[in-house]
Amino acid sequence: MAKIRPDFESSLYARFLKWVRDGSDRLDEDMAGMQADRSMDPSPAPPEQDMERVMAERKVYDRAQEWGSHQGFRLRNRTYSFLSLFLCLSIIAVLLYATSQLPAFGRAGNPAHNEVSERYLEKGMEETGAVNLVSGMILDYRAFDTLGESNVLLTAVLSVIMLLHMQRREGDPRQEMEDLADQTLYEPRHDPILQTVTRVLMPMLLLFGIYVVLNGHLSPGGGFSGGAVLGAALILHTNAFGSSSTRRFMNMRIFQAVTGTALCFYGLAKAYSFFVGANHLPSIFTPGTPGRLFSAGLIPYLNIAVGLVVACTISALYTLFRKGDL
Amino acid sequence: MEYVRFAVSALCTLAGLFMVTSAILGVYRLRSSLSRLHAAALLDTLGMLFLLLGLIIAQGPRLISLKMLLLIVFLWLTSPVGSHLIARLETMVHPDLGKEVQIDRTDMVRQLREE
Repeated sequence: MAKIRPDFESSLYARFLKWVRDGSDRLDEDMAGMQADRSMDPSPAPPEQDMERVMAERKVYDRAQEWGSHQGFRLRNRTYSFLSLFLCLSIIAVLLYATSQLPAFGRAGNPAHNEVSERYLEKGMEETGAVNLVSGMILDYRAFDTLGESNVLLTAVLSVIMLLHMQRREGDPRQEMEDLADQTLYEPRHDPILQTVTRVLMPMLLLFGIYVVLNGHLSPGGGFSGGAVLGAALILHTNAFGSSSTRRFMNMRIFQAVTGTALCFYGLAKAYSFFVGANHLPSIFTPGTPGRLFSAGLIPYLNIAVGLVVACTISALYTLFRKGDL
Repeated sequence: MEYVRFAVSALCTLAGLFMVTSAILGVYRLRSSLSRLHAAALLDTLGMLFLLLGLIIAQGPRLISLKMLLLIVFLWLTSPVGSHLIARLETMVHPDLGKEVQIDRTDMVRQLREE
């Protein structure tokens, strides 16, 4: 993109760009403004002052050079690099030694094959009601860990928002540049082929994502993978129809509402099961019949919450990096 | 009957392998990126079609064959669109494309002007 052909001024694309920008080039305007500023400047600095400033700068530069070639400084520099090299090499040696002492992969007597995994395999389906034991593990035995993971996703989006968020303001030149960039030929959104295929694919993608999320406790899948499918569908929609079209159903307010509700529901539901989920206390979430859609206690609902958070996160990260706004 | 089915499936798989080999050869041998894209698109469509057809014939009428048929449909829907988008971007940003091929960009511009 950085390459500009020599006959760029007369090329079709340059003329088209000029037409999009209403006949005036932004870069030219900026340059003209700068030159006007310079010619308007009433009193250029007298040359004597310039000379003094140059001499002062050179003095500072010379002193920095002198200091840099000083014996103590060089010694400290050399010690520093030697120490860092030593530290690196010793860490590598310790790690390699520790790796060589690990038990061989797949042996029956390995410490990973203990009573925990046996218990999961033998009693997992009975205790959680999930046919897919992975779901039973991450959303029942280790549900607290999964809550932390969902919060990690939220934190990632929050930090990206802090770094990249750009408030939409009318008349902001940056905003106008963004809107113009949406109109250029580089954007795939003016492509009828992509739009037609997206219209065909979009319902199937959404259906498949929802299927994977809802059947997380019955078959391989679950909130994380299904949410990733849903997020990819949203990204495809952004690419095909432009972000202003996606913003109708996926904007900052909806992102906040959905993510917050899902995470709060997850925390509350899991807190409830922490209090009543053991010692034969009566709970409204029972494991039910394994294999049915409405079974496995809390797991389908937690899967839905995780799926919503993941879908929102993926599409929000893409849109933020692309446009600086949701 | 069993032998015939095996022969047909092996023939399909071999044809698919030939397609994949020629596509990889093309990606490495061809000069301009558009012709490389053409070679790679061959793998995505014809190569995958023959390989999956071979597997379907080997499996016979089962649920997994239906799933592989769906796979063919989705691959044929999506990967040509991906190639199309890459080619489109290439024609937009390649500085010396005019020396290699003849370009006709009028359609695109006219369509944009109408919007």
